[in-house]
Amino acid sequence: MTSDPITLRLRRANPVPRAVAVEADELFAAITAARPDRRLRREVRHRQRVLVVALVLLVMALVASTALAISDWLGEAVKPSVTKQEYLAAQKELALPPGASWPTFRIEPNSVTGRGAGGGHAVLVAQNAWECYWVHAIREGDNAAAARAQSVLTGLLAQNVLEAPVGASENWTPPNPPDRPYVVFAADGGLDWVRQTYALAAAGKPLRLIQSCNANAPG
Amino acid sequence: MTPELERRSAEERFRVVFQHLGTVTAYARRRGSRDADGIAAEVMTVAWRRLADVPRDDPRPWLYATARNLVLAERRRAAQTSDRGLEPEPSSPAPELEELDPALSRALRSLSALDQEALLLIAWEDLTPSQAARALGINPTAFRVRLLRARRRLRASLDDPGAERLPAHPGQLDVEGT
Repeated sequence: MTSDPITLRLRRANPVPRAVAVEADELFAAITAARPDRRLRREVRHRQRVLVVALVLLVMALVASTALAISDWLGEAVKPSVTKQEYLAAQKELALPPGASWPTFRIEPNSVTGRGAGGGHAVLVAQNAWECYWVHAIREGDNAAAARAQSVLTGLLAQNVLEAPVGASENWTPPNPPDRPYVVFAADGGLDWVRQTYALAAAGKPLRLIQSCNANAPG
Repeated sequence: MTPELERRSAEERFRVVFQHLGTVTAYARRRGSRDADGIAAEVMTVAWRRLADVPRDDPRPWLYATARNLVLAERRRAAQTSDRGLEPEPSSPAPELEELDPALSRALRSLSALDQEALLLIAWEDLTPSQAARALGINPTAFRVRLLRARRRLRASLDDPGAERLPAHPGQLDVEGT
């Protein structure tokens, strides 16, 4: 409210001090019977477009954050081509038993995998191949082959199998990953079970080894 | 959005604007319109037709600017009728202005049209300087300068009635642009 005397004097002299009361329902109806401003439609569409863009950006942000989360969960996420290269490289470092060959590694083209997964897959392929070779040697009574299989598998567990810390999942990535191919076992007793299986087989009780060979053989 | 929903949305928006019909009518009467109701109705018709231009947050400056243009057009038509020696259209006069303090009325008429309007938008329409600036289509700083100058001139004119200029249209405030 002004305190300017001129404005106050003018205000007191206002010839129509209040808004005029008007009966206007009919006027409102008459005016709005005409077509509304066409530009309002464009405004609405513009607002809708802005809303859609905002939603798309939100979804993209969510997807991006989810991808980051997955990436963090997997360690460093890599494309299928990298995983396949890892698998091929690991084949040069890991030996398969006589007569075995490396199966084709099928991986979905739009998948993401943690770094090292290709090498880990190769380790598991080699492990299973040697287990089956061992089973075959036992069945054939080939003690030399059985001993060779046991030796290779023991070395594989020692060199190429890591156990994640207690509470961590198999997706755990070692802080300093080894240069050689490796696979991670969760600290849930699984690795001990494998060691016991090999010990039992070496002691003439190959049942678990046979089961492992059958269960893990490539389909 | 369907056409029916668009219409309803437009009507809802316009209803907010239409609430100012009474204030626009009062504005037209204060400015000496002989047909304030008609001016206000026309302002609202223009507002409906150009609703996208009417500011959502504060439509009053836009409505007053439109009303001012229509009052000026009405006055030009009346002047043309008078120049042709024809009788002016029969319509109600603006009796309110007859009741205005004669000294104040004379002092107001001594000011330029924009100075008058600047003072009256603040004093009679109760707009803030920013709103009044929008109604006049000038920037707020320029408006404040104009308002200050207009107050000084009005005060001087009231203090020294001899300094007044003769009114162009006795009995009616001059709201035409400079």
